[in-house]
Amino acid sequence: MSRVLVPCHVKGSVALQVGDVRTSQGRPGVLVIDVTFPSVAPFELQEITFKNYYTAFLSIRVRQYTSAHTPAKWVTCLRDYCLMPDPHSEEGAQEYVSLFKYQSPSVTFPKWLSHPVPCEQPALLREGLPDPSRVSSEVQQMWALTEMIRASHTSARIGRFDVDGCYDLNLLSYT
Amino acid sequence: MLQEESDLSLIIAQIVQKLKGSNLYSQLERQAWASLQRPEIKLESLKEDIKEFFKISGWEKKLQNAVYSELSVFPLPSHPAAPPEHLKEPLVYMRKAQGSWEKRILKSLNSMCTELSIPLARKRPVGEQKELLNKWNEMGTDEPDLSLFRPVYAPKDFLEVLINLRNPNYENGDSLSFRTHLGLIQVPLKVKDIPELKECFVELGLNIGQLGIDDSTQVPPELFENEHVRIGQKVLAQQDSAAAQQYIRQGSPTALRAELWALILNISSQPEDVLYYEQLKTNVIQHDLLVDSLIYKDVKLTASNDDYYFVFEDYLYQVLLCFSRDTSVLSHFAFNSASPPKSYIRGKLGLEEYAVFYPPNGKIAPLCFLYHEPSKLYQIFREMYVRFFFRLHSISSHPSGIVSLCLLFETLLQTYLPQLFYHLREIGAQPLRISFKWMVRAFSGYLATDQLLLLWDRILGYNSLEILAVLAAAVFAFRAVNLMEVTSLAAAEAVLADLSTLKVMPLLQIFLFATVT
Repeated sequence: MSRVLVPCHVKGSVALQVGDVRTSQGRPGVLVIDVTFPSVAPFELQEITFKNYYTAFLSIRVRQYTSAHTPAKWVTCLRDYCLMPDPHSEEGAQEYVSLFKYQSPSVTFPKWLSHPVPCEQPALLREGLPDPSRVSSEVQQMWALTEMIRASHTSARIGRFDVDGCYDLNLLSYT
Repeated sequence: MLQEESDLSLIIAQIVQKLKGSNLYSQLERQAWASLQRPEIKLESLKEDIKEFFKISGWEKKLQNAVYSELSVFPLPSHPAAPPEHLKEPLVYMRKAQGSWEKRILKSLNSMCTELSIPLARKRPVGEQKELLNKWNEMGTDEPDLSLFRPVYAPKDFLEVLINLRNPNYENGDSLSFRTHLGLIQVPLKVKDIPELKECFVELGLNIGQLGIDDSTQVPPELFENEHVRIGQKVLAQQDSAAAQQYIRQGSPTALRAELWALILNISSQPEDVLYYEQLKTNVIQHDLLVDSLIYKDVKLTASNDDYYFVFEDYLYQVLLCFSRDTSVLSHFAFNSASPPKSYIRGKLGLEEYAVFYPPNGKIAPLCFLYHEPSKLYQIFREMYVRFFFRLHSISSHPSGIVSLCLLFETLLQTYLPQLFYHLREIGAQPLRISFKWMVRAFSGYLATDQLLLLWDRILGYNSLEILAVLAAAVFAFRAVNLMEVTSLAAAEAVLADLSTLKVMPLLQIFLFATVT
C-alpha cells in the first residue's frame, strides 16, 4: 500500500472574533485555517502532518459531499485535540504532529474516512481477555483499601500502589 | 496503540544500530563463535542454546546493561518529518541563542590567539614532546608564564545570556505586570512543583533510609546501614545497571561507590579503553593547543588552592588535556544543541579535527577521590560529562538543562518562600545571582567532598540534574532567617558564602517532605 502526498491549498488563518478587528484591543484565541484540495479525484486521507507553533487545541471539520442530490455537510472529525498539555509553558509548542485517520471517532466518520484498512487495525485482543475472577479479586482488594482509608480520615497522599499484595504506604501495610 | 508500537520498533532499531558499532557487539560475536565448541550447544536448536549460554555466562546481563545505558541517554524518537536540529532542541529561539553563545566563545578564543600571536594549535617539536612525556605525571610542578591568558568566559557572563533569553511568541512586556516573571529567567519552561518533585524523588522520603542521614553516628548501624551495604554488595555481584541505579537513590556506601558508578555508567575497563586513553595522551604530547594553556591556568587557580583537591592537580591536567582532544565526545553532541567549536591543525594534510571546547574543570576533582587509575578516571569523567554536566554549559529547553534548573530554583523559592524572595529582590539581591555558580558547577567546590558525592549519587540514581535546583532552594530555606535580616547583595552573599558545613540529605528531605506549605 503506497502513500502519496495530496496537493492541498492552505489558506491564511482567519481570527474568530466578535466585533471590529481594527478597534478591539484583545488578541483572538481561536484561528481558523481553511485547507482545500484542488484535485477532483476522490482519495482516502490517511495522515495529516504539520509543525505546531504555539497552538494548544486543534479541531478538524470536514465538508463532505455524499451524493449529487444532498447538500454538502460539515462533519467534525477531531474536537479539541490537545497539542500543548500546558498552554502557558513550552511543552509541545513547536513539535511536529501527525494525525491518523483512526484517531477520529467512528461515530462521526464520514463515508470516505471509514473503518481503518485491515492491516492498520490495532490488535487490541492480542493477549486475550483477562481472567474475570482475577480481575474481580484485584478490584476487591482495591475496594477494601479505599474503605480502610476512608475510615481512617487522613489527608496523606497515597501515591502509587501495586496490586500484587504488597503496598508501599506510610500508614497501612498489607501482606 | 499503533503509534506506540511503531515508536517502540523505532527505538529498538536505533539502539540495535548504535550497539552494532560497539565493542560489546564484537565480543558477543566472538563468544558466540567460541561457544559452538561447547557440548550443550546443539545444531538443531542453535539459536536457543546460544541464548541460554549467554544467559548463564552473564553476557546477557552485559547486553541488558548496554541497552539500559542507551535508553537512559537516548532522546525519545521524534516525528519522521523533524529535522536533526529539532531532535537536539525543539525550540528555535533556544537553538539560535546557543548558536550565538558558541560564536561568542569562538570569537573570544580567536581574538586571544591574534592578540598573543599564538596559534590555536601547533605541532610540538620532538624535544618538547620528549620533555612532556617525561614529566607527564607531574605537570603540576611546572610554573609557566600564564599571566597573559585570561578565561574565555565567567559564569556571570553565561548567566547574563540566560537572563536575556526571550521567547518571541510570549507576550512579556518589559514593564512589570502579572505576566512577567519575578525572577531573572523569563522563558516559560515547564518545571516541577513540590508535589511533583515528591513523586519524582519518592525514595528521599522521610520513612525511607538514606545514606547521609541514617548512617550518622547516633543511629545504630543495624537499623539501616548494614542491610543497605549488604544489598549494595549483592547488586554489584549481579552486575545489573538498572538495579544499581535504583539502589543508589538511597546513597552509596563509600567502599562500593567507585564500582557502583562504573556499573551505572556502564563502564568496564577493557584493554581497548586503556589503549584509547593512551592514544589521546599521544595526541596531547604531539600537539599543543591554545586551550591547554587555558586549562593549565584554570587548574592552577582553582584546584591547587583548594584544601581538598590540590593533591589531584596532576590528575586534573592528565584528564583535561586528553578530554579536550577526544572527538568521540562530539558524537554525543548529536543530541545536544551545542556544537563545540572545532579547530584545524594548520599544516596537516587531510581534515583532522580537534574539538576545542571550554573544559569543565571543577567536576573532575571529586572523581579523583574515587578513581586512581588515569584511564578509568578519564572514562568515568567523560561519561558523566556527556550524560549530565554538558547540560550545565549549554542553552536548551531540556528539563535538566541549566535554563530549566534556574527557572525551577526561582519558582520553588517564589512559591514556598515568597517573603524571602520578595525581600531579596527588594534589596537588589536576586537569589539566582547567588545560586547560579553553585548549580553550574554541580556544587563542586562548595560542599564538603563526602556530601558532594552523596549528592552526585542521586544525580546518577535519578538520571536528572533537577536535584541541584532543589538543593539550592533548600539552602536558601535553611538560611532564611539570616537572609531576612540582610540589607545588601554583598551581605546576602556573605551569609551564603560557606556551604562546607552543610549536610545535603537532611536539607533535601526537609525541604521536599517536611516543609509545611
